[in-house]
This record gives sequence, structure tokens and C-alpha cells, in this order.
Amino acid sequence: MSDKAAAMLSRSEASPPARWTARSNVSPARIGLLALTTAVLIFLPFVVTGYVLYIANLLLVFVVLCLGLHLVIGETGQFALAHAAFYGIGIYTSGLAGNAFGWPFPMSMLLAGLIAGAVGVVIGAVALCMRDIYLALATFAFGEALQWVFLNWDKVTGGPNGLRISPARLGTLEILSDKQAYPVVAITTLLMLLLTILISRSRLGRSFRAVRESEVAAMAMGIPVRRAKVTAFGLSAFYAGVAGSMFATFSTYIHPDSLGFQTTILVLTMVVVGGLGSIAGAVGGAVVFGLISEFLRQTPSYQEIIYGLILIVFMMYAPRGLFAFIHDKAGRVFRG
Amino acid sequence: MKCTATRIFWGAALLAAGLAHASSAGAQEPGLTEKTIKIGMFSPLSGANMAYGLDVVNAAKMYYNKINKDGGVHGRQIELVIEDDRCNANDLVSAVKKLVEQDQVFMLNGGSCSAAAVAAKDYVVRSKIPWVMLNASADGALYPPTDYIFGAFSISQYAVGGSVVDFGKQHLKAKKIGYINHDDAYGAWNLEAAQETAKQLGVELAVESINANITDVTAPLIKLRAANPDTIAITTYAKPAALIIKKAYELGITKPIVLTVTGTANLSQLVENVGSKDALKNFYVQDVLADVPGGPKIKWVYDMYKESYPDLAAKPDHPQAYMPYGIAPAMSVVKALTDAGPNPTREKVAEVLRNQKFDSGVMAGPIEFGPNDRAAQESTIYLKFDGSQQTLIPGSFKSLWKYKG
Repeated sequence: MSDKAAAMLSRSEASPPARWTARSNVSPARIGLLALTTAVLIFLPFVVTGYVLYIANLLLVFVVLCLGLHLVIGETGQFALAHAAFYGIGIYTSGLAGNAFGWPFPMSMLLAGLIAGAVGVVIGAVALCMRDIYLALATFAFGEALQWVFLNWDKVTGGPNGLRISPARLGTLEILSDKQAYPVVAITTLLMLLLTILISRSRLGRSFRAVRESEVAAMAMGIPVRRAKVTAFGLSAFYAGVAGSMFATFSTYIHPDSLGFQTTILVLTMVVVGGLGSIAGAVGGAVVFGLISEFLRQTPSYQEIIYGLILIVFMMYAPRGLFAFIHDKAGRVFRG
Repeated sequence: MKCTATRIFWGAALLAAGLAHASSAGAQEPGLTEKTIKIGMFSPLSGANMAYGLDVVNAAKMYYNKINKDGGVHGRQIELVIEDDRCNANDLVSAVKKLVEQDQVFMLNGGSCSAAAVAAKDYVVRSKIPWVMLNASADGALYPPTDYIFGAFSISQYAVGGSVVDFGKQHLKAKKIGYINHDDAYGAWNLEAAQETAKQLGVELAVESINANITDVTAPLIKLRAANPDTIAITTYAKPAALIIKKAYELGITKPIVLTVTGTANLSQLVENVGSKDALKNFYVQDVLADVPGGPKIKWVYDMYKESYPDLAAKPDHPQAYMPYGIAPAMSVVKALTDAGPNPTREKVAEVLRNQKFDSGVMAGPIEFGPNDRAAQESTIYLKFDGSQQTLIPGSFKSLWKYKG
């Protein structure tokens, strides 16, 4: 049994079960950062153009995608590579619910999350007997198969023509611009972030980490490993489904080309470079890498080289992730 | 008292004049000044799909530069703001929104990737900005027609598929055509027109739809060989096309092979990838230009390119095959701005575009829009290509598919 797993488990026994308690070690710097982020999120729509809000909306979608992947890879240690497929389920479910039934977006968002989550549970159950590279390959195959379904199920998904999505609506309100979509996207992101923190600090979160550190040890301590894994898969897919639905509030078109392995790899890169196993890392990775990608679009000739170099530098000098790196450096500065 | 009233009056008058001025300044069209007009361009300028856009943008740029040297449009110089769309839907929408909302361009002239371009359709229509595409066919954005989007200057996918069947029937006398397309938006659109044209011409189609990332084409080719077609039409991208031509040669298929314009971005690379010129003994390529590349009718385009970009022209594989496709859209933009008069508005320009008709002299057919038609160019020519020489086949060929609404 690994020492880390044992420590985690003993803490899980000592901590109040399934309940988040305020921690005394929340630093003023963290509170300041949180306040600043909240202020930026609130005032953003009043000071920037629709283009910037579109980028902000897109980044927030990636934040939720990263939080979902963080749960299954970062917390539970299950190398799943089908995130784009669950994201696609979310977009298509939300789009079809809006197109066919004119459902208000909170309902279609919930449905998108639940359907993606249900598929995630099934995949999680199937993947129970696999681990490491075999699990990665199996989930990769599922992602590819689902992209094929998106591409060929013409009557439902529009197939290779793509699917036009009706504007999201709530009662008589129709979301027709990035500015209108922004509050929905931002609030949903904050809720998903809060949910992630709650999960992470609950018994469930600790059982995820125990499974990540050592399945045998976790089992020996009475943690239902299989259930933890399936739950992680389901939750991760739920997040991706919600992210898909968020995307459908400000985008009116989806094509299966956008739901391939490349998208999964992009999200994985964000999570790993941000800091595997850290919520701040997942959020920061999504924001930083989303912004880098958008800024590099302005330098077409060199962008691939610069992007590659940035990745290499991160992996060489911040292997535990961007935010662990910043935390270490900041800690040294404050300690003198 | 009188003095105070006068002051109030003049103050109010000044305020009113100021407000009127502010309101007229507010009514000024974005991207338009007395001396300049700003146009937003976007295309893939990096990555694997750069061949679809880089030189197309360069061609449009050199045409706009020529117009500026000649005095501009109604005395206004054309200013270009250029964005990379990476041939990706999200990035293309980012580029369009940046151009419209941040750079405040008057109109758009961009798009080389069809599936990505369709993603910007709703935004452009809602924002009421005239959008003249570059070489994207983006049929999904052109049908059903809208008031603001104009495209398919090189050709629409509907015209690609229909015309290759027309060529097979008229020139190669085929009764049965083996038709290989992609299982994506491009493939669906060109197949729809091919099936319609085949139906009207009494030609049978044997269809094999393949993925764009396919690495082994043996199975679809063996199935096609079993169907015994008189000719094989390939409407795929360049990489699968090279695999298909190579494999057809290895399997001993000697029937004529016709490659549509979707796969002809770099013919010298195609020859290299196929590996043997013997595989190209009975091989035709579709083109949408008025002449063979560099031929007398379009030599001026190639000369202008060499003059404008001497360093780039000196590099191998430049100009890229699609380079001349950038000229006709730029001509369309300039003509629309000219015809809209000295005080153009976005609405006026869109209205002019909806009824635009001219011969670019660069493309195989006229550039023509109509009440129910936003696809500019529908004609194709064919060239017999033996791996080094291209010989023009007389005549032009058209799809019989029509948008029914």
C-alpha cells in the first residue's frame, strides 16, 4: 500500500463525511485572486467587445471541460480519452432539444449533462476491467466511434452538413449574442467550479484520490473502487455534456469535425500543463492555453513552432503544472 | 432677462447641432472614412491547410493593391485587416467577430474552408454585413440563400460533383461512373449534385464514401473494380486522391480517372506521392480557371504574383495551385463597392451583390448571382495530365443540379 493512499484514507476517516467545511488555511492571496476574478467576470461585458466576450465564453466552456477531465484523470487517475465525444453528446442533445421541442436552455442543459453522464457511466462500467494504456485506447476508440456516429447519423445530427442550432431561449428571451449568452455561461461555469470543489473536498473526492494512488489500498480500506471509477466517469461526462450545452447557447452551428481527438488532446493538454490533480490547474490551464492559442492566431507564420516551444518549456520547467510552479515561486518569494 | 434667454437659445442650438453632428457621425458606416474603406479578410494562413488559403489571400491582396495604385474606389483606398482562421470553425468565428466588432471592418472577404465557414453564417446574417467568400464553396452557407453571404467563386461543391458526371458522360462517354467522395460536408454536397446530374443524363453511379484520414484504400477500390465502371471520378482531398490513384494502378485499373478540383492543390506533390507517371496515363483533372495554369488567358495573374511577391514566387510550389482563385472574389468586392456609389452602405453593397454579374476573365465561367443563387461560379474545364504536361480539353462542363428552395 502506498503511504500517500494510506494518509489520504486515514484523513478521509477523520474528516466529516460528505460535507464541505470552511478551511482555515485559505490565504489572503487566494481570497484576493478570487475577488479579482469575480470582479473581472462581472464587469467584463460592460467594457469589452462582442469578440472578446465570444473568446471569454469559449474559454469558460473549456474551463468546464477541463474540470470534467480533471475529475476522471486528475482526481481518479483514469486515463480516459473520450472527452470530445461527451462534449459532442452535450452539444447535439442541447441543440436537438431546442430545435425540436423549443426547450428552455436550463432544461436542455440538464438533459445534455444527464445523457452524457449516463453514457459516461456505461463507458465507465465497460472500462472497469482496463487500466493505463488499454483504458486510454478503449476510450479513444469510443470517441472515434461516436464521431463517426455524429458524421453518419444524418437524420439526427445533420451528418456531414453539420447541425444548425436554434438560438437558446428562456421563456420569451432568445439568446442572440455573445453578450446575452455570457451571464448564462459564466454562472454555469461558477456552479460547476463550486461543484468540483465540493466533490473534491467530500468523501467521494477523497475516495477518487485513494483510487488514483492505489486501487489495492483503497479496496483494503473498504472503498468501493468500482463504484468510484464509474462515478468519476459519469461525473466527468456530465461536465462535458454541460459544457456542450453551454457552447450551444452562443454558437448556432456544430460540425462533427470539431468533435475529434484533437479536441480531447487540447483539453488534456490544458489539464496537464495547468497541473494534473489540481482544480486551479485545470481552470488556469484552460484560460492560459486558450488565450495563448488565440494570441498565436495573430502570428500565423510561427504559431505552431511557438506553441510547441511553450509546451516543451512548460514540461521541462514546470512538470507539476503551471500553478504548482507559480505557487512554489510565490512561496519562496514570501518566505524570503 | 433677454440676454439669458438668448444664451439659453444659442446654448440649445449649439447642443442640438452637436447632437445632430454626433448622430450623423454615429450613422457613419463602420470601416468607412472619406479616404479609406476597411475590408476584413480571413483564411487558413498556418498549419496543414495553409495551401487552401495563403496564396489565395496573396492574390486578392495584390489585386486590391493594384486598385489602390489606380486611385482606389471612388477615391477611397482599400485597407485590409487579415486574420488566420486555421480552417477551424471556432477560430473562423473568432476571426470574423474580431474583424467585425474590434477592427470595425466595412465588409468581409474571406473563407477558404467550407465546413468552418458555415459556422459564421448566422452571425454574419444577424449582423447584416456583406460577406464575399474567397475560395470556400461553403454550400451550407449559400443554400438556402441569404441577403448577405456570397460565395463559391472557385466553384460550389454541387457544381463539382455535377460537372464531373457531365464530363464523364459527354467527353468520356461513360455509362457507369465509379464515384469516390468523402463522408463529410464536401462529399455530401457534391454527391447530391452528382446523383441529380447522373439521373438527368441517364448515367449509373457506383459510390464509395471514404474518410478524409483514410490510409488504406484497397477495400473501396476493390469494391469499385467489382462494379466495373467506365470511368472513376475522385472528389476527395489531395492525400486520399494520391492513395487512390496509386492503388488503382497497382490493382491494374486502366479506366480513365478524373480528379476534381478538391484534390488538385499541388499537382507536383500529387505526382510525387503517386510515385509513377504510368499511373497517370489515363488521367484528367478538373479546373475552374479560364485556362491552364499560367496559360495566355490568365498569364497576367501569374505575372502580377511574381512582381508582387518575388521572394515567395522563387520558392518551390509557389504560387500554390489555388492562387488565382483569390482574384475573382476581390474583383467582386471592388465592383460591388464601385457600383454602390460614392456613399456606400453595407445594405447598398449587399443589394448590388445580389444582382452582380460579370466575367472575371480568370474563372471558367461568369460570376453571376441571382434572386435564388448565391454561388458565383458553376463552370469547369478539364485538363489531361500526364504527370508533367497539362492539355486543355475543349469546352466547359456544368452541373445540372439546381437549388429548389
